[in-house]
Amino acid sequence: MHVYIYDDYLNKTRYNKAINRMEIRLTDLGLNGKIIRLSGIKNIKSAIQNEMRLGAKTIVAVGNNQTVNRIMGAIIEADIYSDFQKNTLLGIIPIGNDNSIATSFGIKNEEDACNILLARRIERIDLGLIGDYYFLNEVEVESRGTVINLKDYSLEIKDKGFIKIINLINDKNNPINSNPHDGKLDVYVVTKKNTQSLMRLDKFEVVSEHPIIVDGVIEVKSPVTISVAKNKLNVIVGKNRCFQ
Amino acid sequence: MFNRENKIEKFKDAETIIGASIKVKGNFHGQGNIVIEGSLEGSLKTDANIFIGEKAKVVANVEAQDLMVNGEIKGNVKVKNYLSLGSTAKISGDIAYSEMSMEKGATINGQLFAISETEKKSIKNSVKEDLEK
Repeated sequence: MHVYIYDDYLNKTRYNKAINRMEIRLTDLGLNGKIIRLSGIKNIKSAIQNEMRLGAKTIVAVGNNQTVNRIMGAIIEADIYSDFQKNTLLGIIPIGNDNSIATSFGIKNEEDACNILLARRIERIDLGLIGDYYFLNEVEVESRGTVINLKDYSLEIKDKGFIKIINLINDKNNPINSNPHDGKLDVYVVTKKNTQSLMRLDKFEVVSEHPIIVDGVIEVKSPVTISVAKNKLNVIVGKNRCFQ
Repeated sequence: MFNRENKIEKFKDAETIIGASIKVKGNFHGQGNIVIEGSLEGSLKTDANIFIGEKAKVVANVEAQDLMVNGEIKGNVKVKNYLSLGSTAKISGDIAYSEMSMEKGATINGQLFAISETEKKSIKNSVKEDLEK
């Protein structure tokens, strides 16, 4: 059974056309399911957990990166997730802006997403973990003055620029060939002096006076530990996904 | 690993690239190829190859299979296979090597030792042990 979880912002009239297109396409493909609107729910975790208990095999996040992150967190933190790990899938239908996660999965728009749900191409992927918060794509922080501490050594970045901690790339032209199956995060540093650095790390601490931004939407306070949760989530992806 | 122009042929294959803006402190032990363009203090080991760029400053003991140096190393160097010193290389420390080439302009302030097959194995094992810890 599919459960579709619509984000709050989709109540706005400007998204009506996209929602209609998506619902018509889902009906055509025989993928109808239960619809839950986040605007009417206080505790998303318990709502999703209930649906999983009732036998939901596919939870589909309808919205943007923030929607996906909220729903993904609720799925994998559900107590029963470990029992149903092999069965519960996360699907995405992107609507509106900030949909880099859908791009990573090779999903272009809402209609494309419906076809991908039907094809049901499944990948089991790693997730990044920053503090208590799981992320799919990347964490970004200003580089100057930021320190990365590992067990045996530390890295200090002297120049202005950015640090990206990548689990999953959202652009096929990205020079970093990040792979969400390798149990590593790619730490990519580019400074304004045009110097580049790359490390593949699995667990480290980031200390910075600058904001640490997760998947372009959430800010996390420093210092924070970042690690990889290996093979943590089953996702439905398109054939044009940005990883192998 | 290295071509005639003293650059890494498979730069994209490097597991770790430490750019010029980065300072590393501590024991940096890796498994794949490492490129150092910045500075490093502590120790540097890998069971693969290391490239030290022209502006790099390494204050550490260094161990690798192949090592290409264009920058500065203050510390002892152990290279299981091939050590290549570019014209801008400066090494202050003892060097144990199997094969070596040195361009005009490179400087060494230390002793040179050719390593035996037994020592090659012990270097490989010590790196493996460090990585397993």
